[in-house]
Amino acid sequence: MASKDLKTQKLSTSKDLPPLAISTTILLMNPEMNSKFDIYQTYRKILQDEEMSPPLAAILSLSELMVESNAGTMFELVKELNDGAEELKKHTTNSISLNAGCELFIAFVTLFPHESDSFAGLKTELIKQGQKYAREAISYRNKIAELMLDFIKDDSVILTHSCSRVVIKALLHAHKTKRISVYVTEARPRGLGVKTYEALTAVGIPCTVVLDSAVAYVMDKVDFVLVGSEAVVESGGLINAVGSNQMAIIAKAAHKPFYALAESYKFHRLFPLSQYDLPTHNPSILSFPSLPPRSSVTQPTGAGVFPQLTKDEVNGTPSISSSSLKQRAMSSEQLAKNPDVDYTRPDLISLVFSDVGILTPEAISQYLVAMFAG
Amino acid sequence: MAVDLHGSQKAVETLVSKLRRRQVVGSREAALETVLVLRQVVSKARFSNIDQLVSLIRSVGKRLVEAQPKEHSVGNTVRKLLHHIREEYNTAMKANASTSKTVYSISNFVLQGQPRSQNTAAKSEGTLVLKEDDPDDPDSFARVLKPVLMEAIQDVLDELETVYDNISKNAKDHIHSDEIILTIGHSKTVESFLKTAAHNRSFTVIVAETGPSYNGHEMARSLSASGISSFLVPDSSIYAIMSRVNKVILSAHAILANGGMFSITGSLLAANAARVHSTPVVVCAGQFKLTPLWNLYHDFGALDFADPSAVLGFEEGNLVDKVDVLNPYYDYVGPELIDVYITNDGDHPPSSVYRLIKETYDDDDHEL
Repeated sequence: MASKDLKTQKLSTSKDLPPLAISTTILLMNPEMNSKFDIYQTYRKILQDEEMSPPLAAILSLSELMVESNAGTMFELVKELNDGAEELKKHTTNSISLNAGCELFIAFVTLFPHESDSFAGLKTELIKQGQKYAREAISYRNKIAELMLDFIKDDSVILTHSCSRVVIKALLHAHKTKRISVYVTEARPRGLGVKTYEALTAVGIPCTVVLDSAVAYVMDKVDFVLVGSEAVVESGGLINAVGSNQMAIIAKAAHKPFYALAESYKFHRLFPLSQYDLPTHNPSILSFPSLPPRSSVTQPTGAGVFPQLTKDEVNGTPSISSSSLKQRAMSSEQLAKNPDVDYTRPDLISLVFSDVGILTPEAISQYLVAMFAG
Repeated sequence: MAVDLHGSQKAVETLVSKLRRRQVVGSREAALETVLVLRQVVSKARFSNIDQLVSLIRSVGKRLVEAQPKEHSVGNTVRKLLHHIREEYNTAMKANASTSKTVYSISNFVLQGQPRSQNTAAKSEGTLVLKEDDPDDPDSFARVLKPVLMEAIQDVLDELETVYDNISKNAKDHIHSDEIILTIGHSKTVESFLKTAAHNRSFTVIVAETGPSYNGHEMARSLSASGISSFLVPDSSIYAIMSRVNKVILSAHAILANGGMFSITGSLLAANAARVHSTPVVVCAGQFKLTPLWNLYHDFGALDFADPSAVLGFEEGNLVDKVDVLNPYYDYVGPELIDVYITNDGDHPPSSVYRLIKETYDDDDHEL
């Protein structure tokens, strides 16, 4: 991921311009770029904007694709869009929220009433709609923060997970009028919780980073749990950074409300029945290493095997020294066997806050059905 | 704004002070009074466009709600009326303009998921000629629209007046012969529900005393007077007798958007005991109790407090200034403890209350 980021940064010529402007200038400069239009590059470029989230970036990229497209009929256009979405999906490891955006836009294009005189006119209209929506949708987070405000009482202690822009926005908004304090999980392996911590302490919200393994320990101290989301699915459940599920289970056991925040472009028509139904799941996740025959194991070294404990660690009290930490950090192969996101069942979620209102998990299912029924 | 309040001002003020002095208590009573006052306000109001009318009703509604914020049905009635008025206005305008084009954008596409009310037959039937902000005749808008609005208000009033009958309509389908029913407090809704069921079924009702108001006494008296075999038990025995009870029937003071409700103290105790014994909990309530609020349970004060002298009277003189005595009037009962709401418009599980609320009120009226 990180190396790709660097590459795109080098490629982009005018970094200071907002993403929309970049893409249009490039398009204007190269009129015969059609064949070479790289939807993934466009997507990465748009995502460089801090405020942009994957579903919106996907909608914008698909709009760009339409600008480039030579399609003469609706059928061709939809096919190109589907191919574009497929292309995007291929390049990203975690395609769930991106998929939600693509799905929304393609469904919109398919159901759009044909009122223009020419196909070109229709296409321009669709492109305009896509870009307009992406512009509007940025403000949805403020709307959610406003809805959330009534649920945060003075002196609340809130537990959140990893880093979500909408959660941070809601907390910052609440901070203006209420005293809140926040526990945030570190969210291994990406450690994004630290980012949340920085954003919150910068404005003076008391915040403490807790270990992912300390969620149960901290739960009795919090008033409610607040998480963001990658996607909200048709069952009313939630897909979010790994660790959300265990947090929801513990919150339920402790009778604490578990609130999820999700912009409406994250509503996704997916019906996972278990963790392993997620599109991000693949056979290598959670697979066991094939160990060499026992006799040949003389000196266990390398990945997939427990690093040897020093004599001191076996007998004495555990101490966290930096050297032992480093030694015991997971190797990249070990990390690769772990999921990025997990699925939280609807019965664990108290409410979902979205820009279209406050919804119960049941309401989410009904909403999604009504929306895509056209 | 060319709004003349003088005629109806007095009626509003009277209701405000009645609410404040708690001369009007009970959610149905308050809702009825509210409709009557609003009818007066609308009939006397002068307005030349819809916005003036809406803001007038809202300002009156706000005054009433502030007079007694815990009587949620006041606000609900105002919201419902606003919804009806907008609906009438929209149908009338649609007939006028006929080409009201809705823009098709992605955000509108997303909003298709929003629960929509089944279009109720509008009074106007598209025969009205509406002219907003007519400079020559500023009253023409009000003159044309008013009769339709009065009819809409009458509908709300009719609904309130028939609410007990409509809730009791299917009572015999919910209560079977020889069942043992537990209820708590004295609710007119539950009372009429049980009495209606008694026409067709013979069953036993156990009424909890419901301290410290002891409303249960009255309820038991009233039920046995109409020939239902009733037992009065102390609140403390609710748990013990729950194993013998087939069904718990409760009333609600206000139904919240998450499917929970406020109801008389002791309800939470009964609901929890019922949950332990897997006894169904049925709530009878009119739809005017649907309140578009999600989060009242955060607020302890939202429960309303009654006179503490019923708990600790002045005869305990030497104790009175040593302890704080609280007598909360309502319990918050969460949606997970309730099986079904029987309303004047069908039976609904707690999970679909949010939809009823979306259908009954307009989103922008939640805050009056």
